[in-house]
Amino acid sequence: MSTEAGSGVKRRDFLKILGATGATTAVVGCSSEKVGKLIPYVTSPDNTVAGVSQFYATTCKECATGCGVLAEVRDGRPIKLEGNPAHPVNRGAICATGMSAMQGLYNPDRYRQPMLRENGTLSPVTWDRALEVLGQKLGEVKSRGGAGNAVFLNAHESGSLPGFLDQWLEANGMPAHLSIDSAAPAATIATNRAAYGVAWPAIDFNAASLILSFSADFLDAWGHRVPQQLDWADARAKLEGAPKLVYIGARRSLTGLNADQWIPAKAGSEMAICNAILGQGTVAAAATAADVPEATISALVAAVRGAGSGVLALCGMTSPDAVECGQMVAEINKANGSVGTTIKPAAAHAGYEGMASYLDLVDAVERMAAGNVPIAFVRNANPAHSMPAGAGFADAFAKVGFKVSFSSYPDETSELCDLIVPDNHWLESWGDAMVGADQRSLQQPTLEPVFDTRSTADVLLAAARADGTIASRFPQADYRSWLIANFAGGSSAFATALTQPTIAGSPVAARATRTAVSRPANAATGEGNMFVVVYPSATLGDGVGANKPWLQELPDPVTKIAWQSWVEIHPMTAKQMGVKEGEHLTVKTAAGEITAPAYPYMGVRPDTVAVALGQGHTAYGRFAQNVGVNAYNLVANGWDSAGNLAIGAMATVTRTGDHSPLVTTEGSARQHGRGIAQAMMAAALAGPDEDHGHHDIPGLASQEFLPGLKSPVAADAQGEMANPLSKDKGQYNPDHPTKAEARRWAMTIDLARCTGCSACVTACYSENNIPTVGASYQGRALSPVTWDERPGANILKGREMAWIRLERYYEGNTNTENEFSPDFEARFVPMMCQHCGNAPCEPVCPVYATYHSPDGLNVQVYNRCVGTRYCSNNCPYKVRYYNWFGYGETDRRQYAWPEPMHWMLNPDVTVRGKGVMEKCTFCVQRIREGENRARSEERELNADEFTTACAQACPSKAIVFGDAADENWSVAKLAYDRRAYHVFEELNTYTAVVYLKKVNHPAPAAPATA
Amino acid sequence: MGTIAQPVDGLRRPNIASADVQIPAVTSYEQVDREIISTLGFTKKWLLGLGVAILAMLVGASAWIYQIYWGLGQAGYEPPVMWGVYIITFVFWVGIGHAGTLISAILYLFRAGFRTSIYRAAEAMTVFAVMTAGLFPIIHIGRPWKFFWLIPYPNWRLLWPNFKSPLVWDVFAISTYLTISTTFLYIGLIPDFAVLRDRETNPMRKRIYGILSMGWRNSDREWRHFAKAYLFLAAFSTPLVLSVHSVVSFDFAMALTPGWHASIFPPYFVAGAIFSGFAMVWTIAIPMRKWFKLEHYITLNHLDATAKVVLFTSMVVGCAYLIEFFIAWYSGVRPEQEFFWNRVFGQWWWAAWIMLLCNMALPMSLWSQKLRRNPTWLWFLSIFINIGMWYERFVIVVPSLSHEFEPWQWGGYTPSWIDMSFLVGSFGWFFMWFLLFVKQMPVMAIMELKEIVVPKRKHAHDGGHH
Repeated sequence: MSTEAGSGVKRRDFLKILGATGATTAVVGCSSEKVGKLIPYVTSPDNTVAGVSQFYATTCKECATGCGVLAEVRDGRPIKLEGNPAHPVNRGAICATGMSAMQGLYNPDRYRQPMLRENGTLSPVTWDRALEVLGQKLGEVKSRGGAGNAVFLNAHESGSLPGFLDQWLEANGMPAHLSIDSAAPAATIATNRAAYGVAWPAIDFNAASLILSFSADFLDAWGHRVPQQLDWADARAKLEGAPKLVYIGARRSLTGLNADQWIPAKAGSEMAICNAILGQGTVAAAATAADVPEATISALVAAVRGAGSGVLALCGMTSPDAVECGQMVAEINKANGSVGTTIKPAAAHAGYEGMASYLDLVDAVERMAAGNVPIAFVRNANPAHSMPAGAGFADAFAKVGFKVSFSSYPDETSELCDLIVPDNHWLESWGDAMVGADQRSLQQPTLEPVFDTRSTADVLLAAARADGTIASRFPQADYRSWLIANFAGGSSAFATALTQPTIAGSPVAARATRTAVSRPANAATGEGNMFVVVYPSATLGDGVGANKPWLQELPDPVTKIAWQSWVEIHPMTAKQMGVKEGEHLTVKTAAGEITAPAYPYMGVRPDTVAVALGQGHTAYGRFAQNVGVNAYNLVANGWDSAGNLAIGAMATVTRTGDHSPLVTTEGSARQHGRGIAQAMMAAALAGPDEDHGHHDIPGLASQEFLPGLKSPVAADAQGEMANPLSKDKGQYNPDHPTKAEARRWAMTIDLARCTGCSACVTACYSENNIPTVGASYQGRALSPVTWDERPGANILKGREMAWIRLERYYEGNTNTENEFSPDFEARFVPMMCQHCGNAPCEPVCPVYATYHSPDGLNVQVYNRCVGTRYCSNNCPYKVRYYNWFGYGETDRRQYAWPEPMHWMLNPDVTVRGKGVMEKCTFCVQRIREGENRARSEERELNADEFTTACAQACPSKAIVFGDAADENWSVAKLAYDRRAYHVFEELNTYTAVVYLKKVNHPAPAAPATA
Repeated sequence: MGTIAQPVDGLRRPNIASADVQIPAVTSYEQVDREIISTLGFTKKWLLGLGVAILAMLVGASAWIYQIYWGLGQAGYEPPVMWGVYIITFVFWVGIGHAGTLISAILYLFRAGFRTSIYRAAEAMTVFAVMTAGLFPIIHIGRPWKFFWLIPYPNWRLLWPNFKSPLVWDVFAISTYLTISTTFLYIGLIPDFAVLRDRETNPMRKRIYGILSMGWRNSDREWRHFAKAYLFLAAFSTPLVLSVHSVVSFDFAMALTPGWHASIFPPYFVAGAIFSGFAMVWTIAIPMRKWFKLEHYITLNHLDATAKVVLFTSMVVGCAYLIEFFIAWYSGVRPEQEFFWNRVFGQWWWAAWIMLLCNMALPMSLWSQKLRRNPTWLWFLSIFINIGMWYERFVIVVPSLSHEFEPWQWGGYTPSWIDMSFLVGSFGWFFMWFLLFVKQMPVMAIMELKEIVVPKRKHAHDGGHH
């Protein structure tokens, strides 16, 4: 049935597997005292060995990018998603959203069977009953001649399913479906079509020398994030020859924080700046409009002209003039001759093709409101949440005769429907996605459906078969058969194609052509004293991610706030208004208002506030409900000239006097000169290496570990290994056949590559069974009878469990409360256990629960830990995390994996009980797995044979893991890079994590450098 | 002879040398027996006090059950502050437990006469305080049912505790201290048990006292052995007084944490412990001498002498505070400097200033002899010192952890109702034992008081000093 990707799974020692499976199964989800029954297969299914992972290649459908992923399947259940290294789109990387698909698959709030509205409430029914009702309603609509007014709203996707849907709709006499993605950069797509003829031309960061981003957040949520970030990081890794980025916009996003310069142009002034660059307007006019110094604009103009075809100008605006401004930005590329160089329409990504505009949706809503729609279908789209209230979706939807939802989750829209026929998750489905004009990526199921759900295509096929008039057009029993039947070359070609990362060709069925609704732009910015920027969250999108606790728990990469909504306001404005951090602000636009706590952020203009989309769900399950506010309330039902939703308006900001603490993981945003995130100027790389030998740590020669990192491991572990005369061989026998002493597991983290995207954090949660602790039911008791039920209550107490965290430190701009300056720098540091050679945590543990392994790991033995927490107190890096509650115990209210979420637990990693300390292990289970594999194959470990979860996921390829004592591993070379440094080297901890300094470039459009 | 400890002559009272503290109002052995034994009768007020103490103890006990069930998350811990009220209270009670042995052992060796009237109560206080303190490391750990792993016991897995860890040293220090101070208390009680046995009419109690007195017959040989044993134990306990709190201070001083990593900690902790221990002696002895009508045993001269010890240790502790600041500045280590600034003028200024006020400023009142001899003031001062010393440990534990090397992980700390239940429970537990003690055993050493009773042939009113 399914085909393994890559070289497949190797044989293992059977007894080891049996032991490991038994042990882990006994531990998973239980306290140590409970032992479950382990029932082995009598006859094992083909290709299944208990305790051995299989990897199924499929295509991620969380966004339109279509990354290739490998689902790690253990005993029939996927437990983790990884990027497919062979896939051309994402080259092995994966983002946090993609990995969190696991929590969509095993979401406890998923519809578990069909539901039918009876007497006003949705109640479970059988599939037979659901299909009967569906057929009956379809028949009614068709017999009354209302089929032509049906509406099908599908969450945008590429591939063959849209074509299938349109075929089915057409057969039923219904119009083509609307493919909607409210978080997609619609205005950019519209201007791309107009300027370059494709929805999304390839962006070549590597060919660029100067990048202008007009709010194009290509490292946040704009466009195809993973390939963009890969290319960006690779280009920036050229260091001296790296492209420079100028970010122009009223709010400095994550992309903006990665820029070499921020030009805080007033919202609405972008066109004036474009005019100045294109020579169509004066510099003075642009400077006045943008409220930035004239010298900056003239330097920008000079820099753009000087960069020639190396210019890469991107526009990601969503304002009423976004399309017009986008056209001008495209003009900059054209004028500089960059089209074909940095912007490559010929190598377009096809993921956004076929998307309906906002106006198409508005038109459908208006038809519903007029009572003309007898039947509506919704599949995974959620306009009841992700559409401005002014569009009146909910009221209009109520007037639809019969509403069918194919969605998997009880979101706001599904909850309004009459019949729920829940779709399979994409990890349970066949399918495909388009990643290039002629490039397809196939999708295959990785497990039997978790619940009693059915693929939408299968349901539609069944409905068609039940209808005698069209049955002949859909002879296939299921969607897979339909795909294969239409696949060039048939089933054998299909089976071969599944082994390929991507295949050439178009979808097996094309979308029906649909005339887009066209109306003049009607967006207005409204009245108010502040401009409000509403942007899709980098973690939650516009709300799709909100039901996945990993994404809720992942701090926003910029503000570091989780499980909450917030209003970004400049510290100077906040001071003038007398607003303290956490005070509730009401932001009121013509469309509506929201109230959320204030987050003083020096990355917004003083005349601007910013609010992220994504929260404020009234349904959508236990993790999404009642968290934060819905920023769509601030957006008016208006569109630009291409019919896209125009976001961005003037607002009145008022204080409410209420206060609630911010659910933030940030302690101090300044590093107080402690050298945690170090940086150097690119120019200094050309000069002599003054720091050479800087990390040759002074110490006893006899303790020096040779070869490898010049940092000895703890003397008691290592003994005097390097001294042949000494009898002190440490705790370990150097003649042990594992030859563990010969290794020194180490990691390098290149801060010049890291963008702070935080994918590594989620990868670690997934690999290491880290509990999320922020759900509203996981808090502590405030009295014997009341519980702290604020979302993120545990994080307010600093109890997040992220073994790896992304620290974001600011440099410069210390007087933000009194002046506004765009010249500050953000440095991102992934911080995890540093596996110190001389670890402060080890000697203080009274029971040896933490000790040093001979191959350089700082090991934590959960079974031995009694929970004194002394190790954490003595850790200068503060990377140890404590199980305050029984997050892994099913009978606790704090249980982090409500059924069936515990299906995704990694059986190679213990679920920690309450009262024990835990921390980054350098993915020791992967190390041991690799070593065991090598041993069973009677060979040495190959260099770079495996890596940690964080390094595997990293879309910047910033993290490199390996054996620093073996010069064949990449890490052994990188550790001696001239940019290498250890954090808190002065504490003599001899860390195994080596950071490579960030490389800064002078501001490209600063008057001095222009 | 109601109020005895009148100064002898003159307007300006002579300073009372501690060795000269006498109890002139006690004139006969029989009086000692009668008056001390009369404190043992049960009273309604005592029962009420015991009831309150048991209730408070139950508050702590139920909090513990609750906490074991749910996990330590119910306490106020706020990482990176991984130690909180439990460790603070642990150090607090260990500190209290210092005065007893200091008084009974060190002052015995130094022949400080003023110890005689108060040492029994102080010694009992020590035992109960250490019993209280010993609970907290167990309460504080995540898996208290695995506490025995800290104890080196033979096992076939050949697993030993980590002898490098100061927490293991703590286990040894505390258990040794508890053993020795309990033994010391008991040895001193043997002749008194014999007195009680001889005077007891209830056959059951008589039998128990008989067993406890180990057949004491008051012979010369017994007294000779007793004196030697007592001297030996005093000598044996003396280094413990210094070592226990030094070891406790190693919990902090051995760590890397700014504000902890300081070589001044052992003497500073010992001085602080004696300081707080004497304060607790006042807290207990001042009401006791009044309620039990023992004012002619614990005279104002006694209080005056103890006040001088408090004054001296207050200055030692204050000096240590100032040296800490100086070293932070002098070290040139930025995290250390920033931490101390944050401790005193930043986030935790209020706690630091409570500590400085209670431990450094208020005890300076004891330069006044008038206040040294004012039991009411001393009692209130003792409460202030108890609060101040609790806050001293708060200031050591919490601000250090909240403001370490890694700025991204700086945080705060607010104890929860569970933490406070344990604090209340610890007082309940302590006073429960103490109240039970005072009605079963003499709160003053009958035999030692008899040693210093002025023989009848002297004129009583000439007593006081010679």
